Amino acid sequence: MNSPFRVIGKSFPRLDARGKVSGKAIYGTDFAMQGMLHGKLVHSTIASGEILSVEIEEALAMPGVYEVVTAADIPAQRYGSFVKDMEVFASKRVNFVGQPVAAVVARTAEEAEAAAKAVRVEYKEQAAVFTTEDAVKADAPLVHPGWQEYKAVPTVKRQGNITNQARLVLGDVDKALKKSDRVFTHRFVTNIVHPGYTEPRAAIAHWADGKQLHVWSNTQLPFEAQATLAEIFKITPSQVRVNVTVIGGGFGGKLRLGVEHYAAAAALKVGRPVKFVSSCEEEMTAALPRQPLVIDLTTGVTKEGKILAKAASILVDTGATSGSGVGVASSVMLMLAGPYKIPNLRLESRSVYTNKTPTGSFRAPAGPQGNFAVESQMDIIADALGIDPLEFRLRNIVREGDLAPNGQKLESVSLEECLLKAADAIGWKDRRPEPGRGKGIACAWWTTTSGSSGVYVKVGPDGQVFLNTGCAEIGTAALTGAAQVLAEALGVELGSIQIVSGDTASTPFDYGAQGSRTAFAVGNACIDAVGKLHQRMKEIAAKQLSAKPEEIEIENGVAKFGDKSLTLKEIAAIAQTSQGGLIAHGTFIAPPTLHDKERTENMVITAINSPSFHAHAVDLSVDAETGEVKIHDYVVVQDVGRAINPTYIEGQIEGGVVQGIGQALSEEIVYENGIVRNPGLTDYKMPTAMDAPNIRSFIVESPSKVGPYGAKGVGEPPVIHPPATIANAIASAVSARIQTLPITAEKIVRTLTEVSETGK
Amino acid sequence: MTEVQLDLTVNGRRHRLSIPAHYSLLDVLRDELELTGTKTNCLEAECGVCTVVLDGKSVASCTVLAAQCQGRQVATVEGLAEGAALHPLQEAFIEFGAVQCGYCIPGMIMTAKAFLDENPRPTRESVREAIAGTLCRCTGYQKIVDAIMAAAQRLSQQGERA
Repeated sequence: MNSPFRVIGKSFPRLDARGKVSGKAIYGTDFAMQGMLHGKLVHSTIASGEILSVEIEEALAMPGVYEVVTAADIPAQRYGSFVKDMEVFASKRVNFVGQPVAAVVARTAEEAEAAAKAVRVEYKEQAAVFTTEDAVKADAPLVHPGWQEYKAVPTVKRQGNITNQARLVLGDVDKALKKSDRVFTHRFVTNIVHPGYTEPRAAIAHWADGKQLHVWSNTQLPFEAQATLAEIFKITPSQVRVNVTVIGGGFGGKLRLGVEHYAAAAALKVGRPVKFVSSCEEEMTAALPRQPLVIDLTTGVTKEGKILAKAASILVDTGATSGSGVGVASSVMLMLAGPYKIPNLRLESRSVYTNKTPTGSFRAPAGPQGNFAVESQMDIIADALGIDPLEFRLRNIVREGDLAPNGQKLESVSLEECLLKAADAIGWKDRRPEPGRGKGIACAWWTTTSGSSGVYVKVGPDGQVFLNTGCAEIGTAALTGAAQVLAEALGVELGSIQIVSGDTASTPFDYGAQGSRTAFAVGNACIDAVGKLHQRMKEIAAKQLSAKPEEIEIENGVAKFGDKSLTLKEIAAIAQTSQGGLIAHGTFIAPPTLHDKERTENMVITAINSPSFHAHAVDLSVDAETGEVKIHDYVVVQDVGRAINPTYIEGQIEGGVVQGIGQALSEEIVYENGIVRNPGLTDYKMPTAMDAPNIRSFIVESPSKVGPYGAKGVGEPPVIHPPATIANAIASAVSARIQTLPITAEKIVRTLTEVSETGK
Repeated sequence: MTEVQLDLTVNGRRHRLSIPAHYSLLDVLRDELELTGTKTNCLEAECGVCTVVLDGKSVASCTVLAAQCQGRQVATVEGLAEGAALHPLQEAFIEFGAVQCGYCIPGMIMTAKAFLDENPRPTRESVREAIAGTLCRCTGYQKIVDAIMAAAQRLSQQGERA
């Protein structure tokens, strides 16, 4: 097939590859400064209680120690995304085991760590609460007794441990359930999982003159880090400069402050640069893992397999702070309705504090949890009705022009194609090829996060093009994708583009590397910049070629007037000597997604922007004696709108699926009375190369109206479906329907034993 | 703090160092020699990002006591390329899209280097087994396996020509 494009649609190597394979890329953990000291945190050892005293004398006397920093050194101010319930160091009370209470600054990290153990904190222990079901009880101990004093966005409806109660309502569910031939109610419980980036969170902070804070860190969001640090230290954002180092993976776990604030507080106190790097134990006990959910889901159907109504009650465990869990409680309802046409909905969701690790925005927040519930139940219902699960989905999925549960009109809907292709690729007709072997399928939609993007595109006198963006490259190669968009639109080769990124002082604002938006939004800003550059080129060429600007035509980066022409390089050289160079500021903001506000109550996320559609299918065997799951084949069909770089899209799919397999089968941070029992990589089991199957990716291109050349968000969706897809295949293989994640071998064996004992 | 004298050759360059006795090989590489191409993470030999080649074998440098490396040869990712020419493994990792965030890649490449030196004609399964000690959270391993298989083929062709 002849592509009309020169650069996009082609699998060029990423622009930053050489430094990464040669060990020359400088990551957050590698960055160092002259005169730098090292900091280590002192953590709470109890889940809930008042701080009576913090004794630092012994620590201060230890070798190499410069200072001990506590809440007393920070302007008393809470911060947070939806509810301002976080503080840098616990001031009056602690809310989880692992909460930072103080930090020690020393000559070496080792000395700081030794001294941190010598800081004595005395507590008055209080009652704690560890599950959402306990936390919502009327007499439950309050995780934040002072919650009413915290500032919050006006949308949220709070009460005690509940940080928001949101609803999505359509039609009359009670009436529809009465009319239904069958009504199914199930509970689904999901696990708390860590993003698992291989580079721990790291930062160096330096106060230039006591007023200008300069931070280098592996943050995904330099502009949010800038704003939050300004809020914490009561200075203006422009007094904070954040530079992003090369980032060793983020997956949403590096969206919020990691260790930047500790470094900044310590650097302020000692008057020297201070570096913090999270330890593995800190990552597992005090980072920002995915919220575990309890979902009670009720669905009413006709005997012909038409869904009439869905009702749900959802509890989102946000841990000790609300964080993005408030958003999860909203977006999970859009996921729970599923990409299905359902006339009656009553979904109710609450985000709830518990005395455990604060949670965050792990890749596709709410996606895997909601999808596990809705897609597991779809199979259970299909089996009960005696309808093939694929056919049951096809009878209910959304199609072009349908309304989503929030009332938004859906465009570029490719779900049927995705499902049929996935079923075909996995050999769906032979769903149970042999005893102990089965196939599963699941589908979903996902959003392309909005937010504004700015780029400066600057052309040097040698024709080299600088793409200057405030967005960070977290590893996905999305900025290489944006550069491909720029090269395509500007009419240059990808090799002539250099990326400069992630500096709040010199790069334009960007909402950041999150929510599958980077190539989409930065790419669109590049297209806007190219329009402006072309105009400048026409003006400059017109003068040179004795023409009017509107008479100049631009083709492949060359300005033409009759048989005369000027190249981009020539124009840039002229611009450099005559008018301060050739540069344009391109911007982009996604248009709002219109929806029916009557259906949403207290929801902080209400729409699915430029939705993408996808289906996964798996073929696996289960050893009934050991519970071991062996994946033979895994198929992903994903609508990306337009494939800008197919290789890195496959990379997102393959990596996302394996991450999702981890959530499905092996990963869980295990708590006992609020204490993490597996705070290391020996017992927190992420998939290795031996656990990961080969994955076959099929890319569907159903262009969006908004994205660059029709692109949709790509990065998050692949992690959504694996838990449901695998759960469905296991149920198909051995009749064990597991409704709690992860589906460990032990659970499978236990379930099979119960099934055989009860004779079901 | 007790110091020990260490005579260590890294990427062909001999170093004579005085280091704290408890330092790991990773500490020496990153903190003393400032070779930060070798990465740091779990410090308990679970994640593999710190993998280097010690006398021809891949090891997790975070759990190797530096003092035990007296007189030994260490190869790190910084020593693989010859001038501007990347090693076939490095080239293949770029070509096959095996690099995303890249933090595990130095460890992956050094693991693969030691493995291919002993197993010039590997199968995909044996490659997966060889790299199972190094976690990658970005790629799902598939393109890493592709890259190592391709590099193996090129290296053995180079060997035949030589």
